[in-house]
Amino acid sequence: MKKVLCFAAALCFMAAPAFAETIRIGLMAPMTGSWASEGQDMRDIVTLLAEELNAKGGVLGKRVEIVVEDDAGDPRAAALAAQRLATRNVAAVIGTYGSSVAEAAQNIYDDYDIIQVANGATSNRLTEKGLNFFFRTCPRNDEQAMVAANALKSMGFSKIAILHDNTSYARGLADDARKFIGEVSDAKVVFFNALTPGERDFNTVLTRMRASDPDVILFTGYYPEAGLLLRQKMEMGWDVPMMGGDATNNPDLVEIAGRQAASGFYFLSPPVPQDLPTDEARAFLAAFEKKYNKLPGSIWAVLAGDAFTAIVTAIEGAGSTDSKKVADYMRTRLKDMPALTGTISFNSVGDRIGDVYRVYQVNAEGAFVLMNP
Amino acid sequence: MDFFLQQLFNGLAVGGIYALVALGYTMVYGVMKLMNFAHGELFTMGAFLGLTLLGVFSFTEVLGPFGGIFVLILMVMGMVAIMGVLLERVAYRPLRNSPRLSAIVSALGASIFLQNAIMLMYGARFQVYPHGLLPNTPVSLFGVDIPLLRILLFLVSVFMMAGLYFFVQRTRIGTAIRAAAIDQDAARLMGINVDRVIQIVFIIGPALGAAAGVMVGIYYGQINFTMGWIFGLKAFTAAIIGGIGNIPGAMLGGLLLGVLETMGAAYISTAWKDAIAFGVLILILLVRPRGILGERVADKL
Repeated sequence: MKKVLCFAAALCFMAAPAFAETIRIGLMAPMTGSWASEGQDMRDIVTLLAEELNAKGGVLGKRVEIVVEDDAGDPRAAALAAQRLATRNVAAVIGTYGSSVAEAAQNIYDDYDIIQVANGATSNRLTEKGLNFFFRTCPRNDEQAMVAANALKSMGFSKIAILHDNTSYARGLADDARKFIGEVSDAKVVFFNALTPGERDFNTVLTRMRASDPDVILFTGYYPEAGLLLRQKMEMGWDVPMMGGDATNNPDLVEIAGRQAASGFYFLSPPVPQDLPTDEARAFLAAFEKKYNKLPGSIWAVLAGDAFTAIVTAIEGAGSTDSKKVADYMRTRLKDMPALTGTISFNSVGDRIGDVYRVYQVNAEGAFVLMNP
Repeated sequence: MDFFLQQLFNGLAVGGIYALVALGYTMVYGVMKLMNFAHGELFTMGAFLGLTLLGVFSFTEVLGPFGGIFVLILMVMGMVAIMGVLLERVAYRPLRNSPRLSAIVSALGASIFLQNAIMLMYGARFQVYPHGLLPNTPVSLFGVDIPLLRILLFLVSVFMMAGLYFFVQRTRIGTAIRAAAIDQDAARLMGINVDRVIQIVFIIGPALGAAAGVMVGIYYGQINFTMGWIFGLKAFTAAIIGGIGNIPGAMLGGLLLGVLETMGAAYISTAWKDAIAFGVLILILLVRPRGILGERVADKL
């Protein structure tokens, strides 16, 4: 009987919003522009989580409504998107994917006392500004750089070429990696430079890198360029190993490079969606696949889902949507919250606590294999 | 020396693509004094249509690798040429007698519309051309190994540019195009159908852009809906370096920009590649405000 009632209730909620009020949560994501596939996955995941939550009765007895604004993966568009969300009475904002994009919106949300939980913005300095309402579910670059330095050391590489793409994320990661490589090992950085993202031809930079004779390349940029680098490197007949940062974690990397060129490529990342640790996560992914007929492309969209869970848990826990109370709850009382990518706690500046990075390698079939579980 | 030659060939291959796309900008500008900002999107459209056609019909298996790709490029050129004509009819012809600013706004609008239309049709993800459509064995040239595809890419670009040059210089239609570029009213008085000339320009320009799109797809493999922006920007720059409105100028500008970028990246810093290339561009424009070959024209094609 209870089941039937639940089902009937769920039907009612689906048919017509039976809640007296709604709580609005903003999602700022790249719906257009070159990261649009990430942004669309973010929207799909958050929408599905919100639907599931509303079917269970919402938060504080209120329905949760997601308000999506497009930041186009562009800092200028992000500032406008943030202004629009700030005036639409949202309790908190999820997003966004790129560090420089999130950074452009940070101060706007802070001025309006709106909580922002970023899902892919890993640049260190985002949480070093003393902003009270900024959180992130993704780890920081310097943690990643440390893992990279240690991994390169344990693999025994001694001449390292570092390539970034001048975005604040990639540049920061490259700088940190250079620093930590010097600290943990005797390896030399023989090349340190940037390419222009969005271009197609990287033969010039590859030819130049080759002249400095490294025994490994560390590329800290994004997957479209990483795929082309791998492909063009193979066409040059240069078989130096390459390692990528977490932004290369996307199945399209293998598509772009081709299996042969991608095989053997290392990258650092939080666990990929298929390797998520819990049964809940696997169940959620199954529901996601059923609804959208695809799997999330990368971990970053899943982290947007975790941002959603953290926000609604904190609102429920604080018993209010007052952003000061919610932010305070997230910092001090939200501990080891179960989420899709593991348990989540935030420290005093809003960074996620715990080490999440792993080293992956692409195998001959193009699959991502965890190297040190 | 090997390093220099290798980088020179790298630059020429990129420059060839810039030049092909630049031709579309420069021809339209020459005849209509209009920057067709949607040209980069027509180039993208070419790349996507090529991929679609490859999915429908396996050209390379039936017609052999080179014949198949040749037919594919011709088909895509034809389809994008139709889109070019439609674009002119819808976005530019109604504004033919309006202030030039309106036409530029219309061009920007068409660009945004087409880019988003491509995203909605094909999705936001990167799409990938099948690997190994053409044999890609390295060829040894002056002691440097160059992938065969790179050489083909460059040769096809040069061949198309040369073909266009002779078409414009040696045929009656080409003469009409040049006449319309100098003075539309006078051309009309001489019995030239200027509307027809503009249509032809909007067939040739987009068709060349489409060919470049397919070639980029085949060579680099990866295409997405924003690719027209960066190639369009570079090609636009190339057209200006060479002297906007001038066909040999666009070819020269494209190759020069490709080589300049590469050399700046090779000998100074890859991160400063664009800054160096555009710095040289400013220098060129300071010395020759109308571009390298822009002098004898200003208003001539």
